[in-house]
Amino acid sequence: MSGHDSKYFSTTKKGEIPELKEELNSQYKDKRKDAVKKVIAAMTVGKDVSSLFTDVVNCMQTENLELKKLVYLYLINYAKSQPDLAILAVNTFVKDSQDPNPLIRALAVRTMGCIRVDKITEYLCDPLQRCLKDDDPYVRKTAAICVAKLYDINAELVEDRGFLESLKDLISDNNPMVVANAVAALAEIQENSNRPIFEITSHTLSKLLTALNECTEWGQVFILDALSRYKAADAREAENIVERVTPRLQHANCAVVLSAVKMILQQMELITSTDVVRNLCKKMAPPLVTLLSAEPEIQYVALRNINLIVQRRPTILAHEIKVFFCKYNDPIYVKMEKLEIMIKLASDRNIDQVLLEFKEYATEVDVDFVRKAVRAIGRCAIKLDRAAERCISVLLELIKIKVNYVVQEAIIVIKDIFRRYPNTYESIIATLCESLDTLDEPEAKASMIWIIGEYAERIDNADELLESFLESFPEEPAQVQLQLLTATVKLFLKKPTEGPQQMIQVVLNNATVETDNPDLRDRAYIYWRLLSTDPESAKDVVLAEKPVISDDSNQLDPSLLDELLANIATLSSVYHKPPEAFVTRVKTTNQRTEDDEYAEGSEAGYSESSAPVADGAASPSSSSGSVPYAGARQPGPAPTQPAPAAPVPDLLGDLIGLDNSAIVPTDQPATPAGPPLPVLLPESTGQGLQISAQLTRRDDQIFYSLLFENNSQVALDGFMIQFNKNTFGVAAAGPLQVPQLQPGTSARTLLPMVIFQNMSQGPPSSLLQVAVKNNQQPVWYFNDKILLHVFFTEEGRMERASFLETWRSLPDSNEVSKDFPGAVISTVEATLDLLTASNMFFIARRKHANQDVFYFSAKLPQGTPFLIELTTVVGNPGVKCAIKTPNPDMAPIFFESIDTLLRA
Amino acid sequence: MGLLFSRMFSSLFGNKEARILVLGLDNAGKTTILYRLQMGEVVSTIPTIGFNVETVQYNNIKFQVWDLGGQTSIRPYWRCYFPNTQAIIYVVDSSDTDRLVIAREEFHAILEEEELRGAVVLIFANKQDLPGALDDAAITESLELHKIKNRQWAIFKTSAIKGEGLFEGLDW
Repeated sequence: MSGHDSKYFSTTKKGEIPELKEELNSQYKDKRKDAVKKVIAAMTVGKDVSSLFTDVVNCMQTENLELKKLVYLYLINYAKSQPDLAILAVNTFVKDSQDPNPLIRALAVRTMGCIRVDKITEYLCDPLQRCLKDDDPYVRKTAAICVAKLYDINAELVEDRGFLESLKDLISDNNPMVVANAVAALAEIQENSNRPIFEITSHTLSKLLTALNECTEWGQVFILDALSRYKAADAREAENIVERVTPRLQHANCAVVLSAVKMILQQMELITSTDVVRNLCKKMAPPLVTLLSAEPEIQYVALRNINLIVQRRPTILAHEIKVFFCKYNDPIYVKMEKLEIMIKLASDRNIDQVLLEFKEYATEVDVDFVRKAVRAIGRCAIKLDRAAERCISVLLELIKIKVNYVVQEAIIVIKDIFRRYPNTYESIIATLCESLDTLDEPEAKASMIWIIGEYAERIDNADELLESFLESFPEEPAQVQLQLLTATVKLFLKKPTEGPQQMIQVVLNNATVETDNPDLRDRAYIYWRLLSTDPESAKDVVLAEKPVISDDSNQLDPSLLDELLANIATLSSVYHKPPEAFVTRVKTTNQRTEDDEYAEGSEAGYSESSAPVADGAASPSSSSGSVPYAGARQPGPAPTQPAPAAPVPDLLGDLIGLDNSAIVPTDQPATPAGPPLPVLLPESTGQGLQISAQLTRRDDQIFYSLLFENNSQVALDGFMIQFNKNTFGVAAAGPLQVPQLQPGTSARTLLPMVIFQNMSQGPPSSLLQVAVKNNQQPVWYFNDKILLHVFFTEEGRMERASFLETWRSLPDSNEVSKDFPGAVISTVEATLDLLTASNMFFIARRKHANQDVFYFSAKLPQGTPFLIELTTVVGNPGVKCAIKTPNPDMAPIFFESIDTLLRA
Repeated sequence: MGLLFSRMFSSLFGNKEARILVLGLDNAGKTTILYRLQMGEVVSTIPTIGFNVETVQYNNIKFQVWDLGGQTSIRPYWRCYFPNTQAIIYVVDSSDTDRLVIAREEFHAILEEEELRGAVVLIFANKQDLPGALDDAAITESLELHKIKNRQWAIFKTSAIKGEGLFEGLDW
């Protein structure tokens, strides 16, 4: 009876996975293949079929290419999640890489490169080595790319196994595809390495140039990019190279064209013959123009690149300005770029045409575009002094249209024109004054006020005009307030009559007493002081000659321009930022520190044509553009709050830590207020999470100061911390409080600690093992070193007599000493302060021969006293430290600690 | 015995393939045996990191022979191949007397496996061509084969290089 019942337990209905498993192990090949297909289907829709790993891998040894490909696809997906089992596939890879079918050999080597499992990488070296020397070009080219992949996984392995040399050999391969891929692989490896790996010699050069004509378009891009990094030996060689590359300019693929342009531009630097250069420029123009007939997106990329090219070689497109005239149906981003290039190409010869265009644009509907067009006119005026008058007349015409934003924009640029050509066009001021009432934007207002102040002596009713603004002084934006202040002072100095005198009283009062903007207040105080002490020198300062501004439409820094030109046809040349500024992985050899400034400069430059900040000393804001700039560089409250002296690292953490929220997210972890914390978990180990930490003592309490930096791609939250048993029983007194960390941010925290909590037995050791986990990553373990001086308490202070008594009472066997040849006590006071801050109290000092001997006392919380003797020649390196303590086991830890202190 | 074997297969599986695992410590000669059985030649092998699988036709029976790598690192994954296995060929390097103890432990661990309860066991005392190789009796002794109850087993002296003893084993 019961035997029959057992059938209820072995039902035929199984889950999908066991069913698949059964089919994968089927005797029949067809069934197995179908099963693998089902598995792949499940994988692609996101079902986790990783548990079938071995079963799928078992289907790997088959002559059926289709099945093999499917299994390989599966492997690429799941090898990472089953790193241990992935080893089972190795033998098949090795076999397949020797298969008579080149397709299978290539497939095997490609798949091997995609499996990023450390355990099996080393087994893959031999097959890879073989495939690099394969008879079939398809296998060789696949192997070349695989080397680059392997380099990314394990660079050392690639170097040790001589793969780089094999790759370099492939450059001389007779198959152009192989050459192109070898070049691509080497270039990629070079990008990830700090050492010069891929250098083109004159020998490889000719190989590359030959391969260039025969390989695919993308292969051509790789080769051209590599060639653009080659420094030709002399002008002749450069000419030769360029000649070989010029046909590429006619290619249908715009990537090839741009890469060729880049390469030619690089080599042109070396060509001295002007004829050749002129010829080349002529040749480069048509392909660049052709790029502009593509779709808008490609146009935009082309325009951004052309923008760079034009800055270096305006002659290339000097005659082609018409191509950049905006079409009515161009997308706005294309129009903006075209404007930018038109300004750069504007010259005395074509300015009439250009102005006509600009004028047309200024009457269009898109406000942003109109504004930019008006600014463009102003920039042309500043750039071309012979055309300035025509520009002004166009501007005046535009003002007469009385469209509010056109007028305002025009006034802003006219202010710049006045700065550029002082005392030339003041006749138009009257016209400007007419539109005074329509101004409602801060920048336009500020510009107008600047004009009034600057030419106060020529405007009869300057005081009335200013007075009308003054009524609303407190409500105005800071930019306008600053200009009003300066303009009033100028007016007063130029016309020291009663009216202005009253005005200045009002303004100074408003700007000093009733404002809380420190910029404004400080400037007002300076003027006040100047005016009250010596009006004459005030005049010298405020009304000083201003340096003439110049056109800044070529605003990219030359070195940056060089770098961007070298990166034409990449994202970098579209962003106009060096690659390091937006790709974190890239670590090129010439790392720049001023990236941000470049970026800032270029952005500011596009939105406005501002004057350089170097203005007359006391009227720093004569140019409106400089005001927001200065404001941005120096955030308001900074000068008014003198930073208190920071005796301990990370002041911020301290301030917040005391009102027990214990967290302070800072945006810039790079600038902590004090020495940086030691990095204990580098980001390379922590999958992008970097942890720096140190035990510190504050106000007789022990804290663990931690800095978390999230450089991974995901937000991290749910941080928890745990300390292993240790000699001093250091443990957390509360939970770790770290907010959710978005990618790219960091957080500091102070974790209150207790000691004697969870003490480990055995000999004393300074090792502190820490585990940190969060919700997204595995648990991270790292080691820290306990610095003994963190524990020393206030009670360690001793009277001289008791010090002597304790010293004598301890047997000599309790005395331990150690030399620190590297440490130096340069000034006695500093060292005493340093040690006192760590609760090591000074007892006495005596001279012994030419040496100084210092005595200190300190005490651990459980009562172990430390009697310390430091012997040194002040100012010379080498300190001998001897301690006497009832617990000499602690000596090594103490020495570690004192060593750290003396080096600090 | 060979008759029994083929009869058993034909009655149970018809024309299906029988699944045989070739196990043993690394460098015992498993891969060489596999290709000797399959192609009849000696191939030069490298340590198998993973597995080889070949179909061997012998006396009208198709065997699907799985040769698993013997490295310490791969041994834990042997168990992935245990289900549906009809026979195990356990290969011992008779000249490697130092590691016979390990070979014995691994062997008995395999015999304990639930999934292999029904599998017959064939032991190849391989590398008989080398001087100093122990004979089958000595291997039987050191592997403690006599402890095997409730299971069919046999031991043969083989030399994969010379091709001796292999087919005798399969005959069994």
